[in-house]
Amino acid sequence: MSVSDVIKDRAMGASMTRRRRKNFAQSVCIALVAAFAYFTATTACADGTNEKDSVFAEALAYAQPRCVKLYGAGTNVEAGYATGLIVSDDGLILTAQGIYLAGDRLRAVLADGSTYDTTLVRRSEPLQAALLKIDAKTPNYFPLAKEPIGEKGDWVLAVSNLFKVAANKEWLSANLGVISLRTRVDARHRTQDVPYDAEMLLVDAITSNPGASGGAVIDMDGRLVGMIGKLLESKNTNTRINYAVPADLLYKFVRNEPIEVAESPPASAGDGKASLGLRMFTVGGMRSPAYVDRIVPGSPAAKLGMKRDDLIMQIDGETVKDLRDYERIFATLRPGVEITIIVKRKRDVLSLQITPEAEK
Amino acid sequence: MYLAAGSRIAGALPIIAALSVVFQGDLRGDESVRQGYRLAPKAFRAAVARVAPSLVTIETFGGVGPSAGRAQRGTMSGINRPGEGPTTGMVVSSDGYIITSTFNFIRKPAIITVILSDGTRKVAELLGSDETRKLCVLKIEGVSDLPLFESAPRSELRVGQWAITVGVGYGDEEPAVSAGIISATSRVSQRAVQTDANISPANYGGPLLDVEGRVIGVCVPLTPGSADVGSGVEWYDSGIGFAVPLAGYEPILERMKKGEVIQPGKMGVTGKPADTKTGAGVVIDKVMRGSPAEKAGVKSGDRVVRADGDEVLDMTHLITIVGRFIAGDEIALELKRGEETVELKVKLEAGLEQGAPDEPAPRAPEPD
Repeated sequence: MSVSDVIKDRAMGASMTRRRRKNFAQSVCIALVAAFAYFTATTACADGTNEKDSVFAEALAYAQPRCVKLYGAGTNVEAGYATGLIVSDDGLILTAQGIYLAGDRLRAVLADGSTYDTTLVRRSEPLQAALLKIDAKTPNYFPLAKEPIGEKGDWVLAVSNLFKVAANKEWLSANLGVISLRTRVDARHRTQDVPYDAEMLLVDAITSNPGASGGAVIDMDGRLVGMIGKLLESKNTNTRINYAVPADLLYKFVRNEPIEVAESPPASAGDGKASLGLRMFTVGGMRSPAYVDRIVPGSPAAKLGMKRDDLIMQIDGETVKDLRDYERIFATLRPGVEITIIVKRKRDVLSLQITPEAEK
Repeated sequence: MYLAAGSRIAGALPIIAALSVVFQGDLRGDESVRQGYRLAPKAFRAAVARVAPSLVTIETFGGVGPSAGRAQRGTMSGINRPGEGPTTGMVVSSDGYIITSTFNFIRKPAIITVILSDGTRKVAELLGSDETRKLCVLKIEGVSDLPLFESAPRSELRVGQWAITVGVGYGDEEPAVSAGIISATSRVSQRAVQTDANISPANYGGPLLDVEGRVIGVCVPLTPGSADVGSGVEWYDSGIGFAVPLAGYEPILERMKKGEVIQPGKMGVTGKPADTKTGAGVVIDKVMRGSPAEKAGVKSGDRVVRADGDEVLDMTHLITIVGRFIAGDEIALELKRGEETVELKVKLEAGLEQGAPDEPAPRAPEPD
């Protein structure tokens, strides 16, 4: 029975107790147990260090010896240090990709202060993660769960080597937060698009700090929810994102199983380029919204009654902000495969089913 | 359910917890503290579920500024460069008025659409805005009976209570949630509540909730010193976030629905610190010609001792008090003119330039 089960039992038991308050024998029982509890509680407090004082202390104490500090080479703008997670008893360590992997030497400092050189086992492009190995027995490690851990709103603790403020044997820094959302985020790192191509677990603990990458995100029971990923920004918000690579994806990476990447283009029904018979209004440049300029007579668009000045806002669930988006998404369409487009016509929003034909 | 068979000991445990609290006189060693933390995430989720029907996703098309790629120099660079959206809003009346943040339209988009919680997409019209609170109102047509949220009375707010932010800015249909506490119940000239829950472009225009799912306020970027649309965004996810309470805001909301632009109110004076011998307050240095202060009879050399009923400590304080009002409001001042006490009301105006044309623009402190 886990701690949470016990809590649940107690919470549910409370309402039952109210119903049975008339039961005298039970009252006596309660009083006796209460007296015992009072005795033990006060005894526990005698040395001033009651474990129960700290709601998150046990989880953190569990996580600390399972995390390592990583020190490698950096640059002026990229930290040469990070955090790692021990994930096996024979020295496998997970971390995020970063400049520190590029140097000649990457050292891992364990919780007891012992230092080991690491070797790179492999990298994951979609997760922007790396698997390292040290030549040591590591009896304290995070078991990786096959299924996702935690849900939106659950408490999480981020444990990391942020700003390398924790020196040598000092414990890593802990930040409290909740799980915000599991989603895919269109991300970039500085000015470059990043090939992180998997679901991520957004959290509201601030993890987007130098050195935090590769840190542990754990729940109240110390279970590994995910690993703090590489520093990334969201294109949607233009902000740095605080996120973890979900544990179930790390599980696959460590086992060298394929990671499910974003949906591939729809199955091909016909080869060649697709055409709807639309000519777009391009005078304003590629940053302009996707307005229809002309419709080719007899084309799928014409048959559907599409009109000049219709604004294409969405193709198959993907938002079309501008002509660049339109062309990028359009390139993935296949002749003969029906799609849904959302169009603004004057003040109306229309959802249209349309099947592209092969370009003539 | 095996509990139905009855575990009496388990049933007794909460009482034990309660008793041990009584005996110890504080919460040390109390299992209920841990239990409270265990249950909080459930409450967070329930709060989010309660407001979810009133949340809307806003998408914009066209407008100025880059949507991706290299950052431009100047004001649109770095974090001031807006993201690609979408952004968040909330239904404030069942016939299709939506409140959101002006930050979400910083690019002045040509087209705004709103996706309601049931998936319906509508073209929206941007109506009025409140520059002092970074809020604005959208209208969508052809809707009725849209679900409304409940507001939390501001008087019930307490520093330290749970506060939850919700927003759809990461582009998922599901909103992202952040939890924290109320850090201060009144900030930025009483216009905002402060929280340490994350507030960013991901939830500007979205709600700050109490643990019951009632709306404490609308998340906005805000700084005490600036009314620029983008100011305050640099504090995103920093532990300092602001939300504008809607309780009591109805009159301004009605004006925004009519398309009005609410602006900061100015008096048209410059001040200097009062001589410590004469007492606290602000001594009026210059009174701009034709300014609200001149019309109300404020004279150079007057010492402002009270504004809006509060004792004025210094110029910064006076600016803060004036910030409680908007253009068109009247502010009550108590002045010392020599030995004489003068009480008057200044009707604040918007858009005053610094200094009259034939006067050099005064240096700091800025006119207010």
